[in-house]
Amino acid sequence: MRFRAKIVDLACLNHFSRVVNTIAKLAKTCTLRLTVSKLYFILSDKVLNGGVGMWCELNQGNFFDEFQMEGVSAEHNEIYLELMPENLSRALKTAHNAKAVKMKLTNKHCPCLRVAVELPSLSSSSRIVTHDIPVGVIPRRLWNDFREPSVPDFDVSIYLPALKIMKSVVERMRNLSNYVVIEANLSGEMNLKVETDLVCVTTHFKDLGNPSWALEDGCQSSQDRDPESMAEARIDIRKLQQLLAGQQVNPTKALCNIVSKRVVHLILLHEDVSLQYFIPALT
Amino acid sequence: MKCVIVGAHLRVFGRAIHAIARISDEFWFDPLEKGLALRSVNSSRSAYAYVFFSSMFFQHYCWAAVPQPHQKDKQLSPPCKLIIKSVLPVFRCVNVLERNVEKCSIYTNINDHHITFQLLCKHGVVKTYNLTFQECDPLQAVFAKHMCPNVLKFHSRLLADIMVHFPTSQEEVTLSVTPMKVCFKSYTEEDADLSKTMLTEIQLNPDEFDYFQIGVDSEVTFCLKELRGLLVFSEATSVPVSIHFDISGKPVAFSIEDLVLEASFILATLSDIDKKTSQQQPPGFTPQQESPGTRTGKAEKASMDKDSSKQANASKKPQRSENTPSTEPAKPGSPLVKQRKVIPGATEGDATGVGGTTTAHAGLAAGAAEAHYDKVRRQPVVFRVEHLSWCLGTRSLGVTTWNYIQFCLWPFNGSISHSSRADRNRHHHI
Repeated sequence: MRFRAKIVDLACLNHFSRVVNTIAKLAKTCTLRLTVSKLYFILSDKVLNGGVGMWCELNQGNFFDEFQMEGVSAEHNEIYLELMPENLSRALKTAHNAKAVKMKLTNKHCPCLRVAVELPSLSSSSRIVTHDIPVGVIPRRLWNDFREPSVPDFDVSIYLPALKIMKSVVERMRNLSNYVVIEANLSGEMNLKVETDLVCVTTHFKDLGNPSWALEDGCQSSQDRDPESMAEARIDIRKLQQLLAGQQVNPTKALCNIVSKRVVHLILLHEDVSLQYFIPALT
Repeated sequence: MKCVIVGAHLRVFGRAIHAIARISDEFWFDPLEKGLALRSVNSSRSAYAYVFFSSMFFQHYCWAAVPQPHQKDKQLSPPCKLIIKSVLPVFRCVNVLERNVEKCSIYTNINDHHITFQLLCKHGVVKTYNLTFQECDPLQAVFAKHMCPNVLKFHSRLLADIMVHFPTSQEEVTLSVTPMKVCFKSYTEEDADLSKTMLTEIQLNPDEFDYFQIGVDSEVTFCLKELRGLLVFSEATSVPVSIHFDISGKPVAFSIEDLVLEASFILATLSDIDKKTSQQQPPGFTPQQESPGTRTGKAEKASMDKDSSKQANASKKPQRSENTPSTEPAKPGSPLVKQRKVIPGATEGDATGVGGTTTAHAGLAAGAAEAHYDKVRRQPVVFRVEHLSWCLGTRSLGVTTWNYIQFCLWPFNGSISHSSRADRNRHHHI
């Protein structure tokens, strides 16, 4: 099992740092899956974490100048590692003006991801900062736990409003209650509702637009649905806030699928990164 | 004592207070003839901070105080002990201090036991802070910087650039040097879970330093938290920083010096537990203190290991004196495991103290010590008040107690507060 990668381009490095920062805000521990062409950050604490799921996919070619990976075996040419994204985020934090960043999987005292940042310095030779991030190697037999979640059979799919606005609304609502109700319909309307004993606050978003999903059988099940009728789900507001707070760059596309009273599936798409986040509904 | 600070020096002074605040909750405010000294030491005696502002730093500096008739000695303005928390609000928003404050006056009223900080701000606003101080015995660490084989000098920016890579929660850092390279790495205790902790290491080329002298390859581990105060302070002054150090176990001194001010942070370093402590005469102290005959080699070593753990686990000490260094149990998380060998006295083995203390003082506090030099000779060297009981405990075993920063205390002959008097009595028992 081998892994070596190198980033030389500063823009790619900053982009990768931002992705890692977002992941770090969403999960304390997550799984890093390495394949020949992609990296995945996966969180699937279905049972432990109230069912929050995260799936983030990156094309390695868009970030790394060099990327060599040899998986556990020829058949299963992949590596699954458990790590704390906060560590990786911290290692990359001070690499703003690095000449190069190299990553390597090592196993000195324990399996580690060694991140070596080469920084410019006043002298002839560069300054090298090395961070050893402890990782856990996930054995092959557990890989099934980390399969890509399928898009749920949603009732409504809608584009999200500008994330900045949504973030500030959710932040204010957080002060009122721990739970928020998200509801949306096929007419491009979305409401965020907070209810307490004393007060009920609703923010209405209009003209958001609904993405059209082509299903395998060619028909769109949502066609039968009354366009005005709202699908709603009551979720933990902190989970939503974590996702929104972690966004440092505006995604190219941001949308939300709601399965009434079951789950809210948020999808944020950038050019080379896609992030899916599942928040279960609470009764 | 009365002094006035204006202009950019306000920020520098404020930063000094903040830096010292990292060490301890209280500090010594020590007006001297040539300038003002601020000192602080932490409760475990493993960190000592000293900042000296010469009279040129101030717009106006006047030292003479009302002389006490019964005071035989020249000490006119005795040092006072202040609680940092009371002083910090005065210099709260250090960055904007210069903008809003035109002048800061400080004056002491010994009879009243008051220090007044008066800030003359814009728009005619005057903020006056009257703080009570506690008279106390002076405090000074004895450390011979010039005797350190390893010296590094560099701009404060470099040090900040290095420390930024360590998480703010990182407690201890190891500085490892050879003539070919310099390396700062995070330190974790042996029993820490390596599979959970992230380790960071920074390698530097000797070229990056303004001055690079390595007499002996060494690895010294010191507390980063205590140092951070000095980092911010040195950036405010943009004076180059020097590190003077020796092998592991001996203290490391971070200092900055320019025409108008001088600051030193002396930190204890961890000693290698496995390595037999090749000590080395116990710190030079004043003659009355020590009768060299009472110390055997082994007892010395044992006591050094024992005493160097400066946490107040006085009760444990007697047992440990029985252990030889090599059999020190590594108690997980126990503070005793950290054998912080701090500054031995300036003059290793030179128990006469006279010549030795002069050099020591010269190394540390330019003008300050000479005036007190005579007193050092006469008075026993002891610890500060609250640690005296510990001191006595170890002394009763007939072993030395000097593996931390050695402080010279000059008891007052003049008016002393009730608490000091009690301590002086304890002094005499020794």
